[in-house]
Amino acid sequence: MNAHTPLRIGSSYVAALRAKLPHAVLEERWQTDRQATITVKLEALPEAVRTLYYVHDGWFSTMAGNDERGLNGTYGLYYVLSMGGAEKCHMVIHAQVPEDKPEFPAVTPLVPAAVWYEREVRDMFGLEPVGLPDARRLVLPDDWPDGLYPLRKDSMDYRFRPAPTTDAENYPFINDAKQETTVVPLGPLHVTSDEPGHFRLFVDGEDIIDADYRMFYVHRGMEKLAETRMGYHDVTFLADRVCGICGYAHSVAYANSVENALGIVVPERGQAIRSILLETERLHSHLLNLGLACHFVGFDSGFMQFFRVREKTMMLAEMLTGHRKTYSMNLIGGVRRDILAEQKLTTLKTLGELRCEVRRLVDILLSTPNIGGRVTNVGRLDPKVARDHSPVGPVLRGSGFRRDTRADHPFAGYLSGATPINVQTGCDVLSRTLVRVSEVFDSMAIIENLLNDTPAGPILTEDFTYTPYKFALGFTEAPRGEDIHWSMLGDNQKLYRWRCRASTYNNWPVLRHMLRGNTVSDAPLIVASIDPCYSCTDRVTVVDVKKSTTKTVAYKEMERYCRERTSSPLK
Amino acid sequence: MNAPIFRDDLTIKPQGLSMSNEVAALKGRLLKSIGRSVYVYRVDCGGCNGCEIEIFAAITPIFDAERFGIKVVPSPRHADILLYTGAVTRAMRMPGLRAYEAAPEPKIVVSYGACGNTGGIFHDLYCVWGGTDQIVPVDVYIPGCPPSPQATIYGFAMALGLLDQKLKETHHVEGEGESVPLIHPEIPYALRVAVERRAREMAGYLHGKVIAEAFLAALAAPEPASVEARLAALTAQESDPRVVEIYGQLRAVLRAMVVEQAS
Amino acid sequence: MFKLLKEIFRTGQATALYPFAPPQTIKDSRGKPEHDPVKCIACAACTGACPANALSMKTDVAAGTRTWAINYGQCVFCGRCQEVCPTNAIALTTEFELAVARKDDLITRATFKLAYCRTCGAAFSTLKEVDYVARLLGALAETPKEAERIRAHAEICPACKRRLDVEEMAQANPVRQMECL
Repeated sequence: MNAHTPLRIGSSYVAALRAKLPHAVLEERWQTDRQATITVKLEALPEAVRTLYYVHDGWFSTMAGNDERGLNGTYGLYYVLSMGGAEKCHMVIHAQVPEDKPEFPAVTPLVPAAVWYEREVRDMFGLEPVGLPDARRLVLPDDWPDGLYPLRKDSMDYRFRPAPTTDAENYPFINDAKQETTVVPLGPLHVTSDEPGHFRLFVDGEDIIDADYRMFYVHRGMEKLAETRMGYHDVTFLADRVCGICGYAHSVAYANSVENALGIVVPERGQAIRSILLETERLHSHLLNLGLACHFVGFDSGFMQFFRVREKTMMLAEMLTGHRKTYSMNLIGGVRRDILAEQKLTTLKTLGELRCEVRRLVDILLSTPNIGGRVTNVGRLDPKVARDHSPVGPVLRGSGFRRDTRADHPFAGYLSGATPINVQTGCDVLSRTLVRVSEVFDSMAIIENLLNDTPAGPILTEDFTYTPYKFALGFTEAPRGEDIHWSMLGDNQKLYRWRCRASTYNNWPVLRHMLRGNTVSDAPLIVASIDPCYSCTDRVTVVDVKKSTTKTVAYKEMERYCRERTSSPLK
Repeated sequence: MNAPIFRDDLTIKPQGLSMSNEVAALKGRLLKSIGRSVYVYRVDCGGCNGCEIEIFAAITPIFDAERFGIKVVPSPRHADILLYTGAVTRAMRMPGLRAYEAAPEPKIVVSYGACGNTGGIFHDLYCVWGGTDQIVPVDVYIPGCPPSPQATIYGFAMALGLLDQKLKETHHVEGEGESVPLIHPEIPYALRVAVERRAREMAGYLHGKVIAEAFLAALAAPEPASVEARLAALTAQESDPRVVEIYGQLRAVLRAMVVEQAS
Repeated sequence: MFKLLKEIFRTGQATALYPFAPPQTIKDSRGKPEHDPVKCIACAACTGACPANALSMKTDVAAGTRTWAINYGQCVFCGRCQEVCPTNAIALTTEFELAVARKDDLITRATFKLAYCRTCGAAFSTLKEVDYVARLLGALAETPKEAERIRAHAEICPACKRRLDVEEMAQANPVRQMECL
């Protein structure tokens, strides 16, 4: 096929870029009919990304750095935009950073959504984003030596563990407040669910003025592992373990990226099974979040009820995959287990029961008298802020944007189209919760449709060979939003580079805006409403700048305050 | 390709902690029989969250670990048991140590999940230390990725002396004349492999193996009925339409190979 | 409130009785991988496929042994070993009661005897693997003489095989050999 086949969705964006930046577009390469990589001159990079983002309704999906010095003497930067306009496709802006001058013009001043990505590429590759105001580390721990960039091919072995440079945790937190504020640190350890992360809330009395957070306490180095110890198939099992709750979505996104790069056609039945499992994962994930929503408004009976019902979905997952976490089901080219008649019937029966139970529980939750007051107009995500930062999933859909990867960029078993998109316009915690409620029912319907009409034929294809240095994107709609992976194949039966971006990565940066203007007691609820890969933090240190005092409050106390809203721990 | 090479010069081990004899004796008593409720504090040292959610599932209605007085508490200062999950990332080394030091003696440390036990799939990465016991002494290991709520309850029951340990270290040494039987030696090797491969493509490694085995057994069954009749009987007995479809595919493989042989 | 109470009464007892009753296991759930060392030929297919390196194989030339081991503490229960095993020597069970107090109890080992090349004498495989391969390929032979040749060939290490093949080719067709040069 030549570059101008009308089949290629997104050609008009390429033409628009060429018109806008006449001499800056160097090359265009199409990975699939809906995926193009456009190489631009380094100095034109920010403008090219801005044009697609703001002029052509692009959304920032991910950015991948890549050490291509061994191939062409440069570092590659790949800015991935998910186009939301008439032509739904992925546009990748690629620029090359010369080896002898490892810096590039930062995109963040023009497109704020790029901020975490550019900080990360500085940590991992030592590429300096010129013009990026935030000079702090993002991913690497405080005790990591300066000048050692893990993802450079020649920097170190993947097993190299340098001695800790410090025992202190010296990450500087940022506070944009004009007036004096109190500091409330939360974390990194906490009791409710999930992973470590550290929050600082800057408060004036009870009101949150600003917030900052330090994530990546769990940075393990998976991307380096994928290109060193592991073969192609092994990475699907690694991708499962990106996240303990939406791991299967990652595994599918990874497998998809390799399949797209090589043009592998996964058998229809394999695709359908992938979708069935993705929806099962969405069910248990959303039910978990609804349970937590009950918990944080002080409705613990509801929490227990949601968890009781959620176990039915876990049973489904275990029956369909052999594991409660839908782990280890993918290979490149398909899936590892079929769904036979017995499993199909049990699934349909269980879904019937589940639908009734969830309907009753949701009814109980929404009719509880104090719910409305706790969740309405709390944690507002302004649509304008959302547009600037590209959040994903229910967080975005709760602010009125019709964006869902399953409908915008169909993959796996969603290719037949008609996946419903649930939107709420309240922009608050309630809207995000309602989006999840609707999605639970939609997921059940999707699973039933796919089970009643599963295509025949194989579930796996092994009829392909690997071609070095092919690359492409793979994507899924995880319960928390779009997961997107960028993979480049190597010449040694391993990946050359794997860039994995989890949905919550795009949601964290907007949280700061959602917290501002709310009270301290709502903070855990707001954090839980983005359904982060963890919902809270352990320890709250309160620094009241006006009083010049520092006070550490146990997380449980914060959480209790969130639920009961009496006896403020700050007094 | 996938094998790790352990090189000591690549890995600096963090300093371990030691314990006094007195504390060790107290702890022994605690492990043997606690005779009261136990308070558990969870320390996530860089897991994927899977373990955290399974612990959550273990304390909610279906599995309800609180039946045994196991209660999750918000501060290490109240804890009898510290439950470490995750492969111990660099950033969590100090918080993990602080939690350990904050808990009163005697305390039991439980290492939870593959990552906590050895580092699991992440065991040799640059940004992890490879398991709980690299930074604090561990009393009980609960394997699983993640352990299911039932495995969690078993692990706790074992830690508290309620149930006995089942798994023991074993070492088999090859005996005289050990020889592995061939699978279906009466069926040509190429045909068996073709059938098994097709069955895996159709139904995966698990169901595929069962289906292929049923098919091969029918194929290898002693006369009198003809091969076609035996396979037709096998298909007719099957009630699952999907399995019938797969048998059809395997019969096509068989026909193709017979035709190939003939030509 | 009333609705909630109704829901609670409707549900009744939800809790599973384990450990006071047998565990509820789901068919084909992925639990402990059970290794049958008698059926194992130590071919290392599983150790290569294991994404977590829970399976390992170490050769001790001095002792004349090769030791296979699984560390249940590192296992992620994916079932790749079961998928690739040519002799069905390893399969996942539904067993989940694996917690231990002593870390070494997480490890199961099996030691096999090494096979030595009949030409150069170097250790290159295990006796069981050579024996298995010889019988598997021997079954394809049409004459006993052919079977014996296959058996002998199986007992030669890859390096010697390459050398012998080249020599054989050179003898069979010296002209072609020259052309190749």
